Amino acid sequence: MAELLIENLHKRYGPVKAIDDVNIHVADGEFVTLLGPSGCGKSTTLGAIAGLDQPTSGRIRVGTKTYFDGEKGIFLPPEARHCGLVFQSYALWPHMTVYDNVVFPLKLRKVSTADCKRRVEESLALVEMERFQDRYPHQLSGGQQQRVALARTLVYQPEILLLDEPLSNLDAKLRDRARTWLAELRTRLGLTTIYVTHDQVEALALSDRIVVMNGGRISQIGSPQEIYTRPADSFVADFIGTTNFLNGDVVGAPDGDGQTLVSLADGQRVLIKSDKRPSLGDKVTFAYRPEQMRLAAANDRAIGGSIVEADVVSHSYVGGRWQIGLSVGGNQIRIETQEATTDRQLRLWLPVTGGILFTERNHGKSH
Amino acid sequence: MSLDASSALGSSTADALPRPLPGRDTIIQYGMALLTVVLIAAPLLPVLYQSFLDRALYDSGQQLTLGNFGRLLRTEGFALVIWSTFVFATLTTVISQTLGTLAAVLFGRTDMPFARLFGELFLWPIYLSALVLSFGWYTIYGPAGYLTLLVQSIFDGAPWNLYSLPGMAMIAGVSQAPVAYIYCMSSASITDPTLEEAARVTGAGTLRTLWRITLPLLMPAIAYSAVLNFTVGLELLAIPLVFGDPAGITVLTTFLYNNGVASARPDHGLVATAAVLMLAVVCVLVWLQGRLLGNTRRFVTLGGKATRPRPFRLNSLRWPLCIVSAIYITATVVMPIGALLLRAFTSLLSPMVPISEVLTLGNFANMLEYPVYPRSIWNSLIVSSVGGVIATAMVALIAIIVLRSDFRWRGALHYVALFPRAVPGVVAGIGFFYAFALVPGLGGLRNTIWILVAAFTMHFIPVGLGAVAPMLLQMSPDFDRAARTQGADWWTTSRRIVLPLLRPALVACFIILFITFFKEYTTAIFLFAPGSEVIGTTLLQAWTQGEVGLVSALATVQILVIGVCVTAARAFLGVKLYG
Ligand SMILES: Nc1ncnc2c1ncn2[C@@H]1O[C@H](COP(=O)(O)OP(=O)(O)O)[C@@H](O)[C@H]1O
Ligand SMILES: [Mg+2]
Repeated sequence: MAELLIENLHKRYGPVKAIDDVNIHVADGEFVTLLGPSGCGKSTTLGAIAGLDQPTSGRIRVGTKTYFDGEKGIFLPPEARHCGLVFQSYALWPHMTVYDNVVFPLKLRKVSTADCKRRVEESLALVEMERFQDRYPHQLSGGQQQRVALARTLVYQPEILLLDEPLSNLDAKLRDRARTWLAELRTRLGLTTIYVTHDQVEALALSDRIVVMNGGRISQIGSPQEIYTRPADSFVADFIGTTNFLNGDVVGAPDGDGQTLVSLADGQRVLIKSDKRPSLGDKVTFAYRPEQMRLAAANDRAIGGSIVEADVVSHSYVGGRWQIGLSVGGNQIRIETQEATTDRQLRLWLPVTGGILFTERNHGKSH
Repeated sequence: MSLDASSALGSSTADALPRPLPGRDTIIQYGMALLTVVLIAAPLLPVLYQSFLDRALYDSGQQLTLGNFGRLLRTEGFALVIWSTFVFATLTTVISQTLGTLAAVLFGRTDMPFARLFGELFLWPIYLSALVLSFGWYTIYGPAGYLTLLVQSIFDGAPWNLYSLPGMAMIAGVSQAPVAYIYCMSSASITDPTLEEAARVTGAGTLRTLWRITLPLLMPAIAYSAVLNFTVGLELLAIPLVFGDPAGITVLTTFLYNNGVASARPDHGLVATAAVLMLAVVCVLVWLQGRLLGNTRRFVTLGGKATRPRPFRLNSLRWPLCIVSAIYITATVVMPIGALLLRAFTSLLSPMVPISEVLTLGNFANMLEYPVYPRSIWNSLIVSSVGGVIATAMVALIAIIVLRSDFRWRGALHYVALFPRAVPGVVAGIGFFYAFALVPGLGGLRNTIWILVAAFTMHFIPVGLGAVAPMLLQMSPDFDRAARTQGADWWTTSRRIVLPLLRPALVACFIILFITFFKEYTTAIFLFAPGSEVIGTTLLQAWTQGEVGLVSALATVQILVIGVCVTAARAFLGVKLYG
């Protein structure tokens, strides 16, 4: 149990910057999730904390122990770090039984045989796997393997717990159950935990704080609510939920209320309230979640929002609802409705508040 | 935060991890790297050194000189030696590639009857040593061979002569054809069958598809194994020794043998220089192999019976081709080996004498009378089993250091460990001979079988790595990383996790090395002494003395031991042997 401090961490593979200036401070007992698309450097960051790969530069400290310091030339080998790492592949040793797998770290620590037996049992009980001690890993299901892998890590009480996409190898149903179970376990254990995932639902459900990563850099750090409601940039907004983006030019600079008037490519105008203050003529992107938009009836008036004309480009039944693809001033967006539509054109109501305005040029769908 | 981790786990103190001896990993890694470098440099440095000396390296008062190279080139007949070597290797390659490719297509890709059985039999020559095969061929096609006499009684003289470059190349080609076959088969099985199907759908006939699609797809495999077989052709000692020497045909290996071992007053400067020349040529060839194919694929294993492409229909050619194949297999595999075995159980093998009249166990009884025969069988068994264990242990350590550690020089170690591929057996033999002459402390080992163990191990490290590396590369690195994060240092991780998981590959490695050591003779010829004979060296000695019956009996022992090993390994352990 300890706090974790990562400062100015860099890792390069040849020309590839796998991690680019990462700074994270995880408090004692905090549960922090690294969230980002595949290849954004999550596993590399975890590997750097565990000591599996030597970073190019930076500092990593856990409690009072410096794990890595590029300037001072400190690099603790993984076995001297006392981290607990659960691998995406679980990495249960196939030639050992569940008991032998879990007792391995205790044997390394020369724990007495009686203590070993008791602690392995406790640890397996914690993950509800005590009945499977004599099985071999290949005789277990994916979900059971994942629990054993966790037990093997918890049994020696690591300083911090590192979990690399532990649920990604489970099928959808099992994943839901495992997530609930993991959420319970985490409140019971209160271990300092770094959790890696590319699934925003997991991240939002489990974390104290989320670190959103993109291309080796940190895009945003914040609580799940902050990340969801106030994404720092369009990448985060896009990654964290199904979000619709519109591009346009500022034709009315923000007034005292922070309301900006934006013109889409076809001349339609949208009013949006934001704490960003773009100036006249700026190109901006703004975003709405599907649940924030609705279809407007022919006689609706634009109260508390703007109404724009949209062309229907597709619609498909997605089980209980219809998903309608729309083109608004050259931007593709999607909404969901209860009823099918045969119209070629629809009127769309966009709220003034709740949308998110980004002043960068293009929204970063770089992934 | 309701509870903390330790109370949830019912214990309050974190455990201290006992620190292993500081630097234990480093010591093991550096120690192993050093041992490998020493073992591999041991034969090479003395040869290089000797090639620049004006007299034997163990004499006193020697001086550095460049004169040996000039002297070698001016040596009478040396140009002819080079030419013969080149012709022999080229012919060998042409024959082995043609036979191997034909066999791969015919046995691997058509609906010919008994194709699978023929495929198995076709591989047999590679399990045996070229020396034993030579004796087999001699027994059946030699001047007094069974078939030669039979043909002579019908026609006037036999239409073949093994004591010629084409005759020698024929034996070598047949014994190396399995290599071409194996490479073609492994590429045929990874080649996308849809390409051929597409050609057939467009209406191309069988032959056309074969010629225009299948063969070009096999080209990389053929080219690569051609370089491999050319290299083997250069390094081969047995066939030129048995058939070339009596006919006055000398190639580079027999030149080295005759001037280095068989000569009463060896000219070491000349021998070492020729060895260096050979080393240089083979280095270039091995480099070429690396260019043709990624380095690690040198020791491709046969296996992976995944989706076989649909076989070609031979239609009316099915049985004629089957008969041709049967004749080929009988003539090149069954008869030479069979005749050798038969000769061991008879006092004479001739078409003029009915076999029932000459059947005897006399050769084996005879063999037991001379201590050298049981001794060399015993020595061979010890060298192969104990040496095989030592070599396997060494290979395992090198493999995990190179592929599973953060040892600073692991790349260099890998390179060094694979280097013996470029060292011909004769050069290794001469080199170890010099090394033991040069280093006084090692004199005690000189006339024991341990010098053979050292030389064989050095020579076959790459073969062992080829058996171990693929499995190690396939094994997820997460297994060792998991152990490391839990507090195990590299050595503990290797002992408890990596090596136990690697066990099947280590068993395969041991069996391959056992067989390889058991049939090896080239390196041994330069190193054995009375008391440390192995089967290969004794075979050659008995051969020189004209003891054909004893040679056959001893060869039979070798064939039986290898046969049992190969069959058992394939049947019970499912080991994929490299041939
Ligand atoms: N051993 C390596 N050699 C070269 N590039 C690597 C290596 N490991 C990771 N990378 C690169 O670093 C980047 C981050 O990888 P990783 O941390 O595994 O991503 P994530 O876990 O977020 O999916 C990727 O672009 C990947 O290609
Ligand atoms: Mg990853």
